[in-house]
Amino acid sequence: MEKNEGSKIVKWILIGISVLFAFLFLILPLYTVITDALRSGWETYKKAVTDEYAIKAATLTVEATVIAVLINTIFGLFAAWTVTKFRFRGKKLLTTMIDIPVTVSPIIAGLIFVLTFGRQSPIYPYLQAWDIKIVFAVPGIILATVFVTFPFISRELIPVLEAQGTDEEEAAALMGANVFTIFRRVTFPHIKWAFLYGVVLCAARAMGEFGAVSVLSGHLRGKTNTLPLHVEILFNEFKYVPAFAVSSILVMMAIVILIIRSVVEYRGRRAE
Amino acid sequence: MYVELKNINKSFGNFKASDNVSFSIEKGKLIGLLGPSGSGKTTILRMIAGLETPDSGEIIIDGKVVNDIPASKRGIGFVFQNYALFRYMTVYENIAFGLRVRKDDKKSIDKRVKELISLVGLDGMDKRYPSQLSGGQRQRVAFARALAPNPQLLLLDEPFAAIDAKVRQELRSWLKDMITKLGVTSIFVTHDQDEAIEVADELIITNNGRIEQTGTPLEIYQNPETAFTASFFGQTSIIDDYTQFKTFGRIENTGKAIVRPEFVKITKKGEVQKYRSSAVEGVVLKTLFRGSNIELSVRVGDTVLNARRALDEPHVKVGETVDVFLYRLFVTSGDKAYIVENESLRENSIVI
Repeated sequence: MEKNEGSKIVKWILIGISVLFAFLFLILPLYTVITDALRSGWETYKKAVTDEYAIKAATLTVEATVIAVLINTIFGLFAAWTVTKFRFRGKKLLTTMIDIPVTVSPIIAGLIFVLTFGRQSPIYPYLQAWDIKIVFAVPGIILATVFVTFPFISRELIPVLEAQGTDEEEAAALMGANVFTIFRRVTFPHIKWAFLYGVVLCAARAMGEFGAVSVLSGHLRGKTNTLPLHVEILFNEFKYVPAFAVSSILVMMAIVILIIRSVVEYRGRRAE
Repeated sequence: MYVELKNINKSFGNFKASDNVSFSIEKGKLIGLLGPSGSGKTTILRMIAGLETPDSGEIIIDGKVVNDIPASKRGIGFVFQNYALFRYMTVYENIAFGLRVRKDDKKSIDKRVKELISLVGLDGMDKRYPSQLSGGQRQRVAFARALAPNPQLLLLDEPFAAIDAKVRQELRSWLKDMITKLGVTSIFVTHDQDEAIEVADELIITNNGRIEQTGTPLEIYQNPETAFTASFFGQTSIIDDYTQFKTFGRIENTGKAIVRPEFVKITKKGEVQKYRSSAVEGVVLKTLFRGSNIELSVRVGDTVLNARRALDEPHVKVGETVDVFLYRLFVTSGDKAYIVENESLRENSIVI
């Protein structure tokens, strides 16, 4: 009896700590963002949000996110498929390499790209000859976003594909199905939910990316500014209300993603 | 010969899965590839299917070398050990898959699938998913799916391994009847001797990546050529020095002997027995009720023999001294095995 009551107390203490923690670090900041954004009234908020540069930054963010998700979807599918369905030399190395972006600091990642494609780089003259701008331009931002969100989709898929094994694919192949048919009819139904979940995570991460993008962007207002960078600029210029207003756009995007995530997770679990 | 393997070698790293494997199979036969786990039988099956590539050697199906023909073009039906049914497709779609891939027209697909569903006795289950079926039903779906495109060769990897004992018995005879009826050349892999003997027309015994012996189950059971085959069937016992049993002549250059339980006659003291003078004494170590008979472990000198006694014979107790008579045994010489009859049997038959 006594032991039971003891564990009950522990349970409520733990729940309490978790709730307090979530409140302090998640709810309170979110609340502050929204209230500060609306502090000077709805009109100011609208003005800040519909500001030309804010809209451009939002567009660029969406653009970079969509492209990064697309590229990583294709890459993630291929990588996960290769790693789980074939035996080859260097497979361990490949799986380790896929994880590099999560272990490298985004700032460093940005610097790597500046060094690879910037003026100091040996390939810079060729890029210039072909009139390709990467550093301090939109391609650089996309590149940085792709790099940072690189492992998200493949990481979601690999465990699912591994658990499934290769029997069903082999069975399909023996009946004469080509790779595309096998993927569409046998493999994809298995990984559908994990895949969508990976896409959502990837999108969420891509939207909020700051570090690597910050290094590669050059902060050209209206040209290479994404939402997080725009917020930083506004903040540094002491324009608090616009900064919070623009932040609230990101927050809303995040909430949308969160809802999609929950739906995907719920339906995925039900499909199991 | 319909399927022929010539000097097939296959290694996985340092592990030699196939060591100069050669055999041939006649059209329409049901062949059992029998061997212990890791003996390379599944690898052979997968190479025939095209799921693995041999390092060297030739695989010939219907007169053509198929080494360079991809699995998808070989036209082979394959039943996987765990069936590998498409989890997200219904029974109907599973069976139709191979036909759809071949781009058959809708009507003929429908006809063929329905035909197969009733052939395997799953009428009314066509809308179910594999997860809604029992093990035996899944096996039937896997079988129907493999047969749908009318393959000339059917390969089955441990087809009964994942099914419980009672259903397994039923499915064995079902599968044998079905394959005999359809006349499709079939090879199945198993590690279960009873299953192999019961189902197969012919057996190929594998061990350590090599073929030990091929022949009908009866031939192999009665005349094992190698020490491995001799010891593989039943609960055999090993005798280091078989001359301790009377009336077995010594053969030069031979090693241990192998004895099956049915070669051993255990007689209680005082029971009537034919070969008293040729029997030796042993002590009962263990008795085990096995349902249809009683299994005994009897120690003779340093040797422990497995034997059986019928349920209607007087009971034997642990510690009891009994008479042990061996009808015959397999004497090994290196890898080879020879059958040696008890000499007193011969004398007896002369007397009669």
